[in-house]
Amino acid sequence: MKKGVLLFAHNSREIDYARMSIISGSLAKHYLGLPVSLVTDASTISWMQTSDCYDKAIDVFDKIIEADTVEYSNYRRLHDGPMPSLVPFINFDRSMAYDYTPYEQTLLIDTDFLIFSNRLNEFWDSSDTVLISSAMQDICDKSRAGYQDRYVSDTGVHLYWATTVMFTKNEYSKIFFDLVKHIKENYNIYSDLYSFFNVTQYRNDIAFSIAKHILDGFSTDTSSTLPPIVTTIDKDILHEVKKDLLVFLITPKNDSSYVLASSKGVDIHVMNKQSIIRNYDKLMESL
Amino acid sequence: MDDRLKAALDFANYSQSFAIQKKILKEKIEAKLTYGIKGGIFKIDRSLITYVQMLIDQGRADNIPLIDSNGNPILIENLIDFRDEILDRYFSSSVEYYEKFEEMKKNRTIEKLVDL
Repeated sequence: MKKGVLLFAHNSREIDYARMSIISGSLAKHYLGLPVSLVTDASTISWMQTSDCYDKAIDVFDKIIEADTVEYSNYRRLHDGPMPSLVPFINFDRSMAYDYTPYEQTLLIDTDFLIFSNRLNEFWDSSDTVLISSAMQDICDKSRAGYQDRYVSDTGVHLYWATTVMFTKNEYSKIFFDLVKHIKENYNIYSDLYSFFNVTQYRNDIAFSIAKHILDGFSTDTSSTLPPIVTTIDKDILHEVKKDLLVFLITPKNDSSYVLASSKGVDIHVMNKQSIIRNYDKLMESL
Repeated sequence: MDDRLKAALDFANYSQSFAIQKKILKEKIEAKLTYGIKGGIFKIDRSLITYVQMLIDQGRADNIPLIDSNGNPILIENLIDFRDEILDRYFSSSVEYYEKFEEMKKNRTIEKLVDL
């Protein structure tokens, strides 16, 4: 198969990534008109079977690829609106996308990236074989993005967002993904080299950014990239879904005050994962 | 709370929602102005349209290299078809932007603004 979309989903105790992958996969399939495959694990498949969403998964996904069970997980502080919690998440095998993908050309997306347009289809014929999103674009008029949303560290290189990655299988992209694996396996060393200090939490964005920086000849080249990712942060809340209209509660000052906003026809990164799951039925009905 | 202050704070909330809605609308329009062809990515704007039209007016319409938004040279075999495509996308996007923006301006409550 030539083109397709690939997602990774490994359930944790807190977040039902399987259900999120069904939403995100369904939207990608609908709006891009492409087959979608899922990389997951035995435990997540088992959960899908017991929670009655496996039939839907079979319907949505062209292939469900069972990866080896990942033994360890990251922890990070995530909000569900104003409520913070420390949640585990498994993101170590995203560097294996090259090995798992059944497609010659792959759009790799996060399960919290919801596609509502065919914009990304414009990039399939790009002469660049690995494209990563250049930046995050906060939905708020005044960006709430901090320095570490734009750079690997205070003195580090440009941070690309691995929320969307498009690649064509060839010698270059294999080198790229092999390098990401190498960076992941030697994360401590690269934290010294690239001056980032949170080594307890592995970030794909950082590993992909360093790999791109190295392969661009130790320089920043933001020209060959996917568009910036329109993002709602985890303190924002996906409040309601009406067909393809998403209504959000947005906290412009990143505090406990909220205003209403909505989006329609725009690809959007919804970092409040719990609020995606709460709207599972409505999002699925919208298709 | 003083009614005058409440009215002002309500309007402040409306203004913040309006600013976000406008940003999302601009993003939606910008997405429609991204054009991928022959391995290149073009951001359609007035200067691209004008330049392409100037080339056509001078009788240069076949096998023309254009520099795309990433700075890469892309050979466009049929510049008239290219012009028609970018003009159509720019025009329809501008119309959509105008219509949606006018609609937004008319909606003076947050509920209507976000289409609740």
